[in-house]
Amino acid sequence: MKKIIYLIVYGIATLVIMGGLRSSKVDSDFDLAAFAELPVQVGGRIKPLDSVARNTLLILSARQKVVTDEGLTLSPIQWFIDLTMRPEVADTYPIFKIEFPDDLGLVGLAEQGQRYYSFNELLPFSEELRRLHGEINPAPELRSPYEKQIADINNGLLRYHQVMHSLHPVGGPERLDRLVDEYQSYLATIQPGMAELRKQQAGEEFDAALLKRFITFADDYLKLSTTAHLRVVPPPPPVDPLEDWKNIGLELLDVMKDDPLSPYVTTYASLTMAYRSGDAEQFNREVSELRERFIADFPDDISRVHYERIFNGLQPFYISMQLYVLIFLAVCISWLRWPRELAKAAFWVLVLAFLIHTFGLLSRMYIQGRPPVTNLYSSAVFVGWGAVLLGIFIEKFFKNGIGAAMASLVGFCTLIIAHHLAMTGDTLEMMRAVLDSNFWLATHVVIITFGYSAIFLAGALAILFVLLGVFSSRLNKDTARSLSAMVYGIICFGTLFSLVGTILGGIWADQSWGRFWGWDPKENGALMIVIMGAIYLHARWGGICKERGLMALAIWGNIITAWSWFGTNMLPVGLHSDGRMDSAYAWLIGFVLAQLVLTATALLPWRFWRSEFGQANNRKEKKRSLIAAENAEA
Amino acid sequence: MKFLFQFFSSLKLTVVLLSFSLVLIFFGTLDQVQYGIWHTQELYFESFLVVWTFPEHAPLGQHLNWIRIPMPGGYLLGGMLLINLLAAHFTRFKMSWMKCGIFLIHSGLILLLISELMTDILAVESQMPVDEGGTSNYSQGFRENELVFIDRSHPEHDSVHTIPASLLKPGKRIDVPNTPLSIRTVRYHGNAEIGRATSGSPAESIATRGAAVRMGIIVNPKPETYSEDEINTVTAFVEVIKGEDSLGTWLVSNVMDERFPPQMVDAGDRSFEIALRFPRHYYPFEIELIDFKHEKYPGTEVPFNFSSEVKVTHQDSTKNQKALIYMNHPLRYEGLTFFQASFANQDKTSIFQVVRNPGWLLPYLSVLLMGLGMCVQFGMHFFKFLRKQRG
Repeated sequence: MKKIIYLIVYGIATLVIMGGLRSSKVDSDFDLAAFAELPVQVGGRIKPLDSVARNTLLILSARQKVVTDEGLTLSPIQWFIDLTMRPEVADTYPIFKIEFPDDLGLVGLAEQGQRYYSFNELLPFSEELRRLHGEINPAPELRSPYEKQIADINNGLLRYHQVMHSLHPVGGPERLDRLVDEYQSYLATIQPGMAELRKQQAGEEFDAALLKRFITFADDYLKLSTTAHLRVVPPPPPVDPLEDWKNIGLELLDVMKDDPLSPYVTTYASLTMAYRSGDAEQFNREVSELRERFIADFPDDISRVHYERIFNGLQPFYISMQLYVLIFLAVCISWLRWPRELAKAAFWVLVLAFLIHTFGLLSRMYIQGRPPVTNLYSSAVFVGWGAVLLGIFIEKFFKNGIGAAMASLVGFCTLIIAHHLAMTGDTLEMMRAVLDSNFWLATHVVIITFGYSAIFLAGALAILFVLLGVFSSRLNKDTARSLSAMVYGIICFGTLFSLVGTILGGIWADQSWGRFWGWDPKENGALMIVIMGAIYLHARWGGICKERGLMALAIWGNIITAWSWFGTNMLPVGLHSDGRMDSAYAWLIGFVLAQLVLTATALLPWRFWRSEFGQANNRKEKKRSLIAAENAEA
Repeated sequence: MKFLFQFFSSLKLTVVLLSFSLVLIFFGTLDQVQYGIWHTQELYFESFLVVWTFPEHAPLGQHLNWIRIPMPGGYLLGGMLLINLLAAHFTRFKMSWMKCGIFLIHSGLILLLISELMTDILAVESQMPVDEGGTSNYSQGFRENELVFIDRSHPEHDSVHTIPASLLKPGKRIDVPNTPLSIRTVRYHGNAEIGRATSGSPAESIATRGAAVRMGIIVNPKPETYSEDEINTVTAFVEVIKGEDSLGTWLVSNVMDERFPPQMVDAGDRSFEIALRFPRHYYPFEIELIDFKHEKYPGTEVPFNFSSEVKVTHQDSTKNQKALIYMNHPLRYEGLTFFQASFANQDKTSIFQVVRNPGWLLPYLSVLLMGLGMCVQFGMHFFKFLRKQRG
């Protein structure tokens, strides 16, 4: 029996991992993997086209895949290559996610149960959508959900259009199938065209037809240079890493200034033609040529770009997220049946999930060349990681599954939060100048975020204490004692980290602005966590609160930490904000309310507690009041 | 007496004070939306008592605007915590090895509270803009203002007589130090809009002398702003009096700076230039900006680095030096610290934040004490716990 339980748990874990790995494989004659690795400069960083494809899809569809009407599943890069090279096909893919299509009031658009729409389906309504967009509140933070949806659709359409024009000018099949010719005839037109233009300006006789052809090209590429979204053309060698790359349109225009046309432009054109005609051999040859060129020009960057593409495909955070669910379920079941075996299996899966989580964290650090926490997204990933690390330690000492269950719960929740934060775009963005300090990012930010992990884990354990104590019969004296010890230990830890982190933040502020403490909202939030920890510790040492009072305080720690982490970021700045009611705000309020309810539950009179621990306290309290009554009589 | 000692040294008091601090900081953060950081800091953390009002602009603000919550301010709570801590150490604590961690943490905390108080009282912040290729030997405050009377009659130096703008209360008569003059504030505006009277609008002004009369300047009062990136145009009408004779009423404002012709007050034997301006701090050295760099990440507008290459020329030439001031790397010089704060003028002007804070080292010391104390304290707990687990 024992062995079977181990086998089942490990088997499911293996399936989860295999499932995650397999979804990244693509079957195609075209070397899409190499294509996905072609470089592009975005946000001050060189990254693979694959990342652009994924981020764009995340913004448009809130997921990293496309499911066509025929039921085929496309990977982000498959979608991207169709979008840029076969737009007539890509326009039929349902990729625009519209949560509440009925609310738009567009007759004929919404179909029952349909959440994803293709460009072609939205096309008839583009006029109407633009009109609606003109009417919504210009201040993004003041928009209602209805207005937000309209803005999202319009911005989505714009982005779709911009990304589509990234690799070459777009037009009907007759243009896309002859891109190489188009560039050649453009190059041939430049010299004579310029000459005719000079003649026209000098008032001499000129060839009107030739000039018109030249100006048509110039106009078209000028438009392209403002539309094309991606900087895919690196400067010619020798390369300065701080130099701006160009988009296709800009590069085509600059040829008029006697710059040679970058081979990247022409290669993308022949790639497109090869892809459209189904010539995989030609396509693969061109891709590998482009890749060789990139390696020669940017020898320091190729391994990073390659790694990023691999990392994108592995999606370690999704895998660990699923494993955390498995662990949580396994521990919950272990409290009903087979406690020892299931708890032990859960522990090892927790270690595995933690390793995968760590791998993801380290990969991001390598790709970005930064310490782990650089923005809200990465802080969410790190909070979960820290909580799981602490949970592993707790589980090692107490071996009752509690640490594993709560750590996996916090890990899961924070990864879900991270997943939603990722919807806004690139999560590996560059840092503003004042934050550009690896030393302080590595010390202050990491330590303070680890403090969040600890306080959240303590809060989760406190919630478990309350739920077990009030609603189940499972909380006995021993469990209560070990839970108290866990919460105490972790809060000590959390307070230490929050304090040191806050103080390091003060030193950083002193170094960069000349004041150790400036009462800035984020600083205040950190200080509030430290004070919350101090309240808990003093209340415990002074005997002011007993077990459940301390648990209530630990649950309050959740509120304070959530405020410090997210609340301070949502504070509207300036005098005219009426508070932003976006979804994160609502979630934060919901979270705080839930914690308040739990605190109230913790303070319910003992007679409502179903558990052994609660009943014992109830008897004690009764006895005490009897004695008091007797004393009063006597 | 014993009761008092017990009260002030009790752990219950600690918990209550800490809880109040939590509440104070929370509301002190919320109110920054309305009042900006600087003003909120004065209201909440540098005060003894503060009343929070439900902001009118918040959701449901119109209906809940009557809600008011009074709470103890930062000075009161900090002071009480300090007393509480000291009292506890005098009465309850006995020095022992088990307690040395706590002792360290608490002494660090005391030091931190003291250093914050010192910073509040002693630290001076000002700004120094320098053009590329240019020099500067003074910095300017940007929050306070002062009314100055400048006597330029001496060939070697000017003598400057100042009155802080906070003393300019309408109707109050103040003597100008070391001059035969005194002033009476006729009107004072914490913020105002200043412009030329157009032909249509009546040029109603109570000024009788100076630029306001010559140029037909009119003043429209505005509510004070608390925003970090806006400056209040402090403006006043000031009557200047010599003995018992009024010399006239002048309009002064901090936007009427060097670009305006100086306004002169003729006091018989001497004449003074009158102005309302940001306080200036002069230094015995000059800062020359050799080069300012503003680099961006390639392909973006996101700044990647700001840096200023400067040369400091001191009257005492042994103290001359060159330095590169950039993010997180200030120049500490003669008790002052120069930070890269901002830039202007198409990257041709660099603006330094100049801070004089004699207590800047104290927080570092306190950090060391607290960090060490926590490691000792929790370390001991942890090892005790480990021993118990094994045993």
